[in-house]
Amino acid sequence: MRASTSNLLLIGPAALMVLALFLYPLFFSLVSAFTQDDLSFTLAHFVKVFELYSNDIKFTVIIVLSSVVLLAILSIGIAATLTLSPFPKLVAVLALLYRLPLFIPFIVAAQMMRTFLAKNGLMNNTLVAMGVMTPLETVSLLGWSGIIITFVWKQLAFSTLLISGAMAALNRDQIQAAQNLGASRLRILVDVILPQVMPTIGVALVLSTVTIMSVLSVPLMIGTGSPTMITADIAFRVNSYGDYHVANALGMVSYLICAGLAWFYLRQSLKDKGALS
Amino acid sequence: MAHLDIRQLQAGYGDKTILHDINLQVQKGEMIALLGPSGCGKTTLLNAICGFVPTQSGEVHIAGHEITLLPAERRNITMVFQSYALWPHMSVAQNISYGLKVRKIPKAQAHKRVLDLLSIINLEGFENEKVTNLSGGQRQRVALARALAVEPDVLVLDEPLSNLDAKVRLSVRHELKALQKKLGFTSLIVTHDQEEALVMADRVAVLNQGRIEQLGTPEDIYQQPQTPFVADFMGADNCIIYQASTPSVQLNLANAAATQKLALYFRSSAAELRTVSDRTEAGLTISGVIEQSAFLGQQYRHTLRSGDQILQADSRQCWPIASSVSLHVPPHALHVFDLATHETPPSFQSNSRG
Repeated sequence: MRASTSNLLLIGPAALMVLALFLYPLFFSLVSAFTQDDLSFTLAHFVKVFELYSNDIKFTVIIVLSSVVLLAILSIGIAATLTLSPFPKLVAVLALLYRLPLFIPFIVAAQMMRTFLAKNGLMNNTLVAMGVMTPLETVSLLGWSGIIITFVWKQLAFSTLLISGAMAALNRDQIQAAQNLGASRLRILVDVILPQVMPTIGVALVLSTVTIMSVLSVPLMIGTGSPTMITADIAFRVNSYGDYHVANALGMVSYLICAGLAWFYLRQSLKDKGALS
Repeated sequence: MAHLDIRQLQAGYGDKTILHDINLQVQKGEMIALLGPSGCGKTTLLNAICGFVPTQSGEVHIAGHEITLLPAERRNITMVFQSYALWPHMSVAQNISYGLKVRKIPKAQAHKRVLDLLSIINLEGFENEKVTNLSGGQRQRVALARALAVEPDVLVLDEPLSNLDAKVRLSVRHELKALQKKLGFTSLIVTHDQEEALVMADRVAVLNQGRIEQLGTPEDIYQQPQTPFVADFMGADNCIIYQASTPSVQLNLANAAATQKLALYFRSSAAELRTVSDRTEAGLTISGVIEQSAFLGQQYRHTLRSGDQILQADSRQCWPIASSVSLHVPPHALHVFDLATHETPPSFQSNSRG
């Protein structure tokens, strides 16, 4: 009895922090999403959310899913190159380059992308100078594609770091064993490496999803205004109307999207575990 | 013609050359042990044969075809690793049949081959087992079956028994040798254990600093080491520098007494301890003082000091510490090297024949 009391005391401060800084605000925003000012229950805020913002919700889901799919393909590609490439110099350059975005904040990345992707931005100017296209043919990539490009560029470093770390942790002998049995590099990736790093890929993508869902600067700076992402709508409700109820309802929708993906990931990883044992 | 023919091979990592001028011919069905201390390049040699380490110069041929520049996946040489290197997400059968799957062998045929191999390695009924549920010895046998499944031109084994505990090591060693005799695969085995090399191999190559010091049958290597390094590495680790002027050391050999400086190597087990006497006898006689003795079970190992040289000698009898003794080594157990050339002088060569 005494031991359990002292254990409770030990975790007390940490538990208090979680309660005060995470659970209380979460509970508060839940209550706020479902109540009116006089604390009576209502679904009016959600009705408003779906009337005004259902397009934005769809837009957000599409942006997140396409970013995550692109992220998965690119970061697995880079990590596989780092692990399997027979050219050590290429690996050294790539290993340095892919990490750079880690040290750049989203808002700086967004600003860079603005000057890069705009109609008269760096990319189009370069293409025009190279004679690939004429100034009239240039298209601004600001908008949904720009948002995806920015998210993928920024998150690529993080997910590649996780995935290539997991690949590097595999015993090198396992790769060589497959190699001298006649397997090509692509086969080794698919048959030997990917099945073993799947859990890490899942973690990298779920964490990236949560990050993408919570970034405000990118949709504000690169997006065209409408449709936009949920974060921008929340900021708008709070800043322009002081309407915390609808903002919290939008937040709930964000939670649900994240929870849906997390559920999908957990189910998948449980299934894999079940298949193995 | 040799099945595996390595000519003047030089290989290493980056700018660093680890293997210098390796020449090795392996006959079909032969098992060659590469023996040497850590860092001598024996594993690098295996990796170079497999194609994991680029060749800097020289050639490797298999059955008359040059494979020096072929990538690892096209060489048909398979390796058994010290770490087993089994894939934990696959079952025993999936591990063994992977090479067959890559080579697009029909499923029924591959399955039959897996069952055959499982019975050869005495793991019948284990095909659906997870490899992580197997013991070390079982895992290494699965790894062996996986490597043999594709019928490689050459099987290379990189310290396959090092991760196993002593008892399992002996039984797997025995099985491996029996299997090699039965199936007749051509193989190279890397080891730092001289006993393992002597027991398993048809011929032994002793490597030192990226070069083959001596290549020969186990008997040759053991009884007639050609360099001081091989003598030392094969257990003749007592070394005494002989000069005609040292009074405590007497060398009586039938051959003409040499005036040059000689290095004499012998095994502790070949030395005999006696009370000091004036009797002269063929061979090497050293007088000294017992400094230490240790019980080894069959006999006692004594540490003997003669001048500033420390020697080891085995004896069934335990000699008291600080007693004066004479250590005698018969001519056939002596390995004589000229200090200047590191070779056995021609006049002494008959001595080392046992």
